Amino acid sequence: MDPGTTPLGKMLLEEITPVVMVLRTPLVEEACLKNDLSFIQMLSPFCTFSNIDVPVRTSSDQPYRLQKFKLRLFYESDIRQPNLEVAKERLKQVITQAGEKDNSELCSDPPPIGSESEILPSWFEFFNKELVRTVSFSDHEAFDHPVACLLVVSSKDEQPINRFVDLFNTNKLPSLLNDGAMDPKILKHYLLVHDNQDRSSEKATKLLTEMKNTFGTNDCHMLCINSSQDGQIEHQDSLWAPCKSVASPNQHLGCLLNIDDLNEIKDLMQELSSKHIIPYMEQKVRALNQQVSATRKGFRNQIKNLWWRKGKEDTPDSPSGLMYTFSSIESQIRVLGDYAFMLRDYELALSNYRLISTDYKLDKAWKRYAGVQEMMGLAYFMLDQSRKEAEYCMENAFNTYLKIGSSGQQNATRCGLWWIEMLKTRDQYKEAATVYFRICSEESLHSAVMLEQASYCYLLSQPRMLHKYGFHLVLSGDRYKKCDQIKHAIRTYRSAISVYKGTTWSYIKDHVYFHIGQWYAFLGMYDVAFTHLLEVLTCSHQSKTTQELFLREFLQIVQRTGKTFEALKLQLPVINISSLKVVFEDHRTYASPAVASVRESLWRSLEEDMIPSLSTARTNWLELQSKLLPKKYKESNICVAGEAIKVDIEFENPLKIPISISSVSLICELSELDEMTSDTSHSATELWNDEHKLLGDMSSDASLFTLSEVDFTLGGDETKLVQLTVTPKVEGSLRIVGIRWKLSGSVVGYYSLESNLGKRKTAKGRRKPKHSPGNDLKFVVIKSLPKLEGFIHSLPEKAYAGDLRHLVLELRNQSEFSVKNLKMKISHPRFLNIGDHEDLNLEIPDCLEKKTNVEQTDVPADSKKVSHGVFLFPEDISIEGERPLLWPLWLRAAVPGTISLYIVIYYEMGDASSVMRYRTLRMHYNLQVLPSLDVSFTISPCPSKLQEFLVRMDVVNKTSSESFQVNQLSSVGWQWEISLLQAVDAIFPSQSLIAGQALSCFFMLKSLRKSSRTEEKISSLSRSPGSDVRLAPEGNKDALFDICCSPLADFHDCERLQQHELSNQEDTNTVDFILISRPLKSDINPGTSDAPRLFSHHACHCSTASASPISWVVAGPRTKCHDFSVSFCEINLRMIIYNASDAVASVGINTHDSPGGNVQLSDGNTVASGNQAGWHSLSPVDDIKINSDVLGSNVGKSQSPESVSPFIWSGTSSTRVQLEPMSSTEIPLQICVFSPGTYDLSNYVLNWNLLHVNNEENVGKTKQTSGTSPGYPYYLTVLPSD
Amino acid sequence: MATTACFIIVSRNDIPIYEAEVGSAAKREDAAQLHQFILHAALDIVQDLAWTTSAMFLKGIDKFNDLVVSVYVTAGHTRFMLLHNPHNDDGIKSFFQEVHELYVKILLNPLYLPGSRITSSHFDTKVRALARKYL
Repeated sequence: MDPGTTPLGKMLLEEITPVVMVLRTPLVEEACLKNDLSFIQMLSPFCTFSNIDVPVRTSSDQPYRLQKFKLRLFYESDIRQPNLEVAKERLKQVITQAGEKDNSELCSDPPPIGSESEILPSWFEFFNKELVRTVSFSDHEAFDHPVACLLVVSSKDEQPINRFVDLFNTNKLPSLLNDGAMDPKILKHYLLVHDNQDRSSEKATKLLTEMKNTFGTNDCHMLCINSSQDGQIEHQDSLWAPCKSVASPNQHLGCLLNIDDLNEIKDLMQELSSKHIIPYMEQKVRALNQQVSATRKGFRNQIKNLWWRKGKEDTPDSPSGLMYTFSSIESQIRVLGDYAFMLRDYELALSNYRLISTDYKLDKAWKRYAGVQEMMGLAYFMLDQSRKEAEYCMENAFNTYLKIGSSGQQNATRCGLWWIEMLKTRDQYKEAATVYFRICSEESLHSAVMLEQASYCYLLSQPRMLHKYGFHLVLSGDRYKKCDQIKHAIRTYRSAISVYKGTTWSYIKDHVYFHIGQWYAFLGMYDVAFTHLLEVLTCSHQSKTTQELFLREFLQIVQRTGKTFEALKLQLPVINISSLKVVFEDHRTYASPAVASVRESLWRSLEEDMIPSLSTARTNWLELQSKLLPKKYKESNICVAGEAIKVDIEFENPLKIPISISSVSLICELSELDEMTSDTSHSATELWNDEHKLLGDMSSDASLFTLSEVDFTLGGDETKLVQLTVTPKVEGSLRIVGIRWKLSGSVVGYYSLESNLGKRKTAKGRRKPKHSPGNDLKFVVIKSLPKLEGFIHSLPEKAYAGDLRHLVLELRNQSEFSVKNLKMKISHPRFLNIGDHEDLNLEIPDCLEKKTNVEQTDVPADSKKVSHGVFLFPEDISIEGERPLLWPLWLRAAVPGTISLYIVIYYEMGDASSVMRYRTLRMHYNLQVLPSLDVSFTISPCPSKLQEFLVRMDVVNKTSSESFQVNQLSSVGWQWEISLLQAVDAIFPSQSLIAGQALSCFFMLKSLRKSSRTEEKISSLSRSPGSDVRLAPEGNKDALFDICCSPLADFHDCERLQQHELSNQEDTNTVDFILISRPLKSDINPGTSDAPRLFSHHACHCSTASASPISWVVAGPRTKCHDFSVSFCEINLRMIIYNASDAVASVGINTHDSPGGNVQLSDGNTVASGNQAGWHSLSPVDDIKINSDVLGSNVGKSQSPESVSPFIWSGTSSTRVQLEPMSSTEIPLQICVFSPGTYDLSNYVLNWNLLHVNNEENVGKTKQTSGTSPGYPYYLTVLPSD
Repeated sequence: MATTACFIIVSRNDIPIYEAEVGSAAKREDAAQLHQFILHAALDIVQDLAWTTSAMFLKGIDKFNDLVVSVYVTAGHTRFMLLHNPHNDDGIKSFFQEVHELYVKILLNPLYLPGSRITSSHFDTKVRALARKYL
């Protein structure tokens, strides 16, 4: 690649060219200004030659031809180092102008990265050029030193010849010439300008000859301008356009210059450069080269030079002071190099630069050294060889410039820019970018531009470095902002956003969006500011102060606009879509919102028996509905006009600061029924468009439905569940589209439920592919229907176990249509029982008290109203209008624990034409039951009497604070009779059970059963009065409670059922007990519960069965007086045997007359005492074992040889009888006693076995079918009678 | 001596999955975003360098003013990026290696989805302890 065609090459060919100093008189300028041009401006278009074709011969003998050439013209006043402040001001102006220009683009979206239009704003080049020019005319480099001097005098001037001399002699000459930095003897050229408008050129020609005589023929010229008379000559704009940047459009630049004038100027400049300047430079190069060769080339000269420099080392280094005058060899070498460079003899230039650079380095003349290095680098570049060398030189120069401090900063910048261009030419954009970064000085504006250029370098590098691009844009933007160049700042940030869009680097995103938003607001572009600030609102990772700052700024912007913004993407607060729950009531209605959260399947199972089955339903309402509604909506949910649909959704505040949210409501769309059918075809496709439209204007639908509005404040990191409702008013199709809310009263946010739901569902996977998510939010609104509202009055949340209460269920129907066919089902009949309508006004203890006139004949009536646990209300009941239906309920806290009571009430519409024929009301209550009295019963047969049992009741008060007064113990059923064994006062010394107290007491239970007819017994069990024992202290006037009246008996049935399942035992010899107690009155806090309460504890299926099904009693006299002198004593005894099993038993009695021992009282005593304690139940096996042991020991002991049996069994020694189930028989026994004493008549054995009559159901059970029982001790004392 | 150190783990999709300011220097309000900017920009350099060397530890690949970026690239192209002062670069390699071990343990957790944010508080305390030890 030809280096000359590269941007840097072009720049160098333009910038490093010979300078011509122009000295002119004011009249010259005046003549030129008629064209709105200064003299230099007029000439400048003709200073650039693209094809000058001048042969040049420098050091070598071979001439070469210069094609392109350029002269730079400067007034003498401009040839000095530019004022830094002015330069800065000028740069600032350039930037500001550039900023103003692209104002229009500011609000548009950032263009995609890499689009050509965006790369490199054009003013960069211009800016860079200006920047380079700030360091021109430095004394340390020679290419800016004027090569020639052009003296211009107008023909109007008086004494033009003198003026020429005066011009050069004035003190106005630049300091460069005066202070010896350059040779004051420069090439002079004399020009006479003649304005053709003034007068004829005759005088001018005369003057020219005069000049030629004075200054020499070759150096004098005349230029005639303004030849055009009318001033209407049009030129191409491009001719002077670069000179005058701010040309007003109505001016015609060069309007008085006709074509002849232009040609004349062109010829003049051509001649000046080719005939005068180039040859002059050529000559000078040759001369200098000779001189340099003589003094510096060759080994000897180098040694000498080195030695000489060494000697000079001590001289203080003074970078500011002028060390090298034009006559010094160093300056001359530099001039030689620069001239050679300008004449494109880069080899020569390079060799000279090299030569001099070591000198400068040794002299520590760093600025000059850097300047030479810089030129070396450029020369290398122009030679297009040794890239590394070139870069090294540039870097060296750059670093050296920086090293000398602030004075070198400008030069460093220029050097850097050239270096960058060099790198760019070689596609080393990354390196170029780092150089740009290094150019950055403290001066913000300057570095802002540099950083921006650096960012573009990163963008252009291969591969693109977008991260760096963004970063440098942001850096640049910050600096622009510092210099109040807000438009530029916005521009850079806007580009940066294209990089950082959607980034997860949260701090970066916040920074960029927040600042650009702020700046837009500064410019008053609030809309754009708003959208940008929206992005940073959810900054949960930021500190609290930052969050406050963001929110404050955001709200300020909103306030400043003075209107409420509507933001589709408002992220504050965050809506937790997964928390969405829609509660609506179709045929299922809910008594309270909490009810809806219960699982649907649970309700289904409850409702199973009540609602019409599917086959029958299809013939009525479903079909009716399908006729009424189009197919499309068949799957939609159904809701009823006038009834609210509730939507629960969570709002979450991600910030640490509280935010206030108001007017939260749903966005809904309700299309009426008839129009809905027509637009089904296109509604699906336009769904999303509709939605947007809908989000915008939705207030118009207020007549169709009403929406609830919620206001609340979310604290830092708080989450709130909000319930929103929509109540449709007319029939049709309702769609819940989204949610809207107002943040801080000024920003309206929208959230589309449908689209977000859709996203969520699809993201979750395809578990339910058939279910379309939108359906949850679509409803078919049907005509308004009656709806029951139900409520149970005074249902406690907490109760002690056994607590019996009277409750009232209230059902209301607000609509004017009636409902009928009410049914009710309760999930736990054990806890909650439905009373009779007459029970409505009953009070709990009174209603249960035993009436004197007992008429409980019609009690079983309610067994027919309950079928499958479904309670049917009387058919004549219908609820309408304001009149509520009250129905009594009985509550009994059956077992401790937490119980959920579910109640479903089914009702049918009175109006048969309605779409829905029935509805159900679902109610749900939670009841916590605390343990109170723990009652257990142990029953053991009475040893001395048949059909009588000893009952031990263990009562433990398990409450922590309550005391109970035990009122009554009842056994259920007519066949049992219970009676006290002890006095009541002995049982309850303190008359009550205080908390934690345990107590045991004993009762006698007597079986009244005579018949063995089982079926009769079972049927009578259900509703038979039992027997009661009053346990209340004597002073208490409370009547006994009737355990047969409805709530107690009903609950007892349930308990029986429940406990039967638990025990799972088919035992007919069971007894049920009901213990009724009341909390002690003194313990009741009068504030909390005023009603007297009653507790009932049911113990069912307490088995009376003992070890063996056969029990017997030996009856007879206990003492007998007999006169043994007469005869031996004969005593008749009876044995009553009872078969308690349900099978026929065969019992054999064997007596054996072994010596039983009248003397073994001690033995007998132990047995007796054992028997006394024997009321506890023993398992049959144990019983037998112990008994057999006892028997064995008895037998062993009775084997004493000396004793003779004092009595013998007379009569049959073995008897066998057959016993019917549940029957008893009596067997006579007789003994003969031979001497007085006390006898234990236990030496007999009962062998029994059950004959399997109906043992089919007993197969699996380990029930004894046969056994042997030893006899009970029976003590008989026979006294001798006197 | 107050040191600045910002440690970020960047997933292969250039998403930061763990961030920690582990320096002892007093926190400045804008430090967090500046550090993110620098580390984010350094991703370009990492991208260039990571494939030119077989070493995992890339020392001082980028710098901004007086802050240096060192990077450790795991085999899965997860990048541990540390922004630090140039003087304390002795323990950085050890720091990275030990953090890598911790990171591998995180990866072994079957409940951790690779590329998602590391929220383990155990990891956090361990990393901070390592930073105190080595940096």
